[in-house]
Amino acid sequence: MRAIVFSWEYPPRVVGQLAEYVKALATGLAANKVDVNVVTYDDRLMGETQEPSGVKTARVTNPVKTHIGVLTWVLTLNQEVERAAANIYYSSGKKIDLINVFDWHFIPAAVALKNGLGIPFVYSVESLEDHRSPTANSSYNLAIKSIEWLGFYEAQSVTVKSEWMKEEVARIYQVPAEKISVIPTNMDSGKNGFLKVYSTVAEAKKNAT
Amino acid sequence: MPHKLSVLMLSWEYPPRVIGGISPHIYFLSKHLAKQDVKVYVVTCDFPGAPAHEVIDGVEVYRIDSYKNPSPDFATWVYLMNMNMQRETAALMKKISSKIDVIHAHDWLVADAGIGLKHIFRKPLLVTMHSTEMGRRDGLHTTAEKMIHETEAWLTYEAWKVICCSDYMINHVKYVFGLPNDKMVMVPNGVNPQNYDVDVPSDFRGKFALPEEKIVLYVGRLVYEKGIHILINAVPKILSEVNAKFIIVGSGYMKEQLLNIVRSMGLEHKVLFEGFMDEATLFRLQKCADVSVVPSLFEPFGIVALEAMAAKSPVVASDTGGLSEIIEHDKTGVKVYSNNPDSLAWGITKVLKDEAYAKYLRENAYRRVQEKYDWAKIAQDTKRIYEGVLGEYSKSFWA
Repeated sequence: MRAIVFSWEYPPRVVGQLAEYVKALATGLAANKVDVNVVTYDDRLMGETQEPSGVKTARVTNPVKTHIGVLTWVLTLNQEVERAAANIYYSSGKKIDLINVFDWHFIPAAVALKNGLGIPFVYSVESLEDHRSPTANSSYNLAIKSIEWLGFYEAQSVTVKSEWMKEEVARIYQVPAEKISVIPTNMDSGKNGFLKVYSTVAEAKKNAT
Repeated sequence: MPHKLSVLMLSWEYPPRVIGGISPHIYFLSKHLAKQDVKVYVVTCDFPGAPAHEVIDGVEVYRIDSYKNPSPDFATWVYLMNMNMQRETAALMKKISSKIDVIHAHDWLVADAGIGLKHIFRKPLLVTMHSTEMGRRDGLHTTAEKMIHETEAWLTYEAWKVICCSDYMINHVKYVFGLPNDKMVMVPNGVNPQNYDVDVPSDFRGKFALPEEKIVLYVGRLVYEKGIHILINAVPKILSEVNAKFIIVGSGYMKEQLLNIVRSMGLEHKVLFEGFMDEATLFRLQKCADVSVVPSLFEPFGIVALEAMAAKSPVVASDTGGLSEIIEHDKTGVKVYSNNPDSLAWGITKVLKDEAYAKYLRENAYRRVQEKYDWAKIAQDTKRIYEGVLGEYSKSFWA
């Protein structure tokens, strides 16, 4: 099993709690014979490394430094995420089972790679724009929501951290319940949840080709 | 069956979606590449009433969902549109992947899609830089302008070759993005002389000028960089030598100001502001013009001079930017000092007063158009560039 994990934060670059969570997951998966490749953003630490746990990381930076907002920053950064993912894809002999994308930032890359190279992706929800900015409906917020929607629409499978979030994803984006898995936040049991989702997605891909 | 050279053309506009000059450029380039046995896939933004897929003159045209939710601003829309363009084009390329040899992007408006697809499919990317943010804005003054400039720099960095339509633009692009010489290729813009194979009704000229008046034609936006105010300032001097009617086609923010100047000179009966004009009328008017004037202060290429040459109207243009290259002084037109009404008046008067000279200029100019600015030749040059890039690519580890 070979997976690429997309997360816009990963230690040592810690913005919220997603960074440590993704690190714990990647380490846990590596210990369970998954070839884990994390693609993340970091302006200071660029390039590829391998952690003692076996997790491989590729850190990209944004070629466009001046931006008018988070949206333009995210959207240009996605091409570098694609470049890093494509490098992993081609150097592994085109054998990637799936991509696991955390939150909305790198959904455009996951969608392009799925449509172009046939790599299915799992969309793991940390939070939703509807909850982050509950009263805001500007074109800026709508754009982020439309990216989240695209993620749910194109994802092979969706993971959330609670039954409540499962209901919210189903309510806001009309995602069918059978597409969503609730995975406990505790990584000891959580990693088994991810492993199960990954094998289902990889199995479906094998059967489709 | 041998493999046919095939190109994926990315452009934010293609007819019937026409915003600027890129749309007709892609239309003619693609059509003539197809005639040279190149398989062309154009991916462009959708347009009301235009189908999502059609074949036009042998060219496969795909129109994508151009992101129609409200956007915070134009630049953000461009990046959001690119997200959709990339998604739909990736799916298309997966279907036809083995058939695409090169990706050809046009301007920063499709930078994200071009760069992303290059890496996903590991195909060589070429870009035509039709203009630059720095040139358009005469510098970089805002965050948005800097962002667009950096996006352009990134696109030219990722491109295997950068195509510009004049030596002037080659130098400009090389300088503003710090690009190496061997990455730059000049392919001129083209013009379609068949546009002017139209009959001019006998009463057509009379709608614009009296029989004894010569027609001096200006076609372009009424904005500072086009130098229309230089022409207006030259009007009295020209009228002191020749009887003429000045016909101004186009509109822009300087219109009121120009009207006031004309009014204050008491020459409203000699200078007609026609505003926007439909193509059919314009083509006829260009054929009737005794002289076509291009008084620009900044001009990356100067397509309007080329159009006049194709219409067999003698051209007087300022010696600047791409115009300097299109016009060969005293042979295919008259070049005058830029930003100089006296010099402009001299050039116009010279052409209007000497019919034999005007005939000599228009014949030379028309021949030059056929030799150098013919779309068939431009497509041939472009095809050769694709083949050159493919030759280099085939030795790279991506092949």
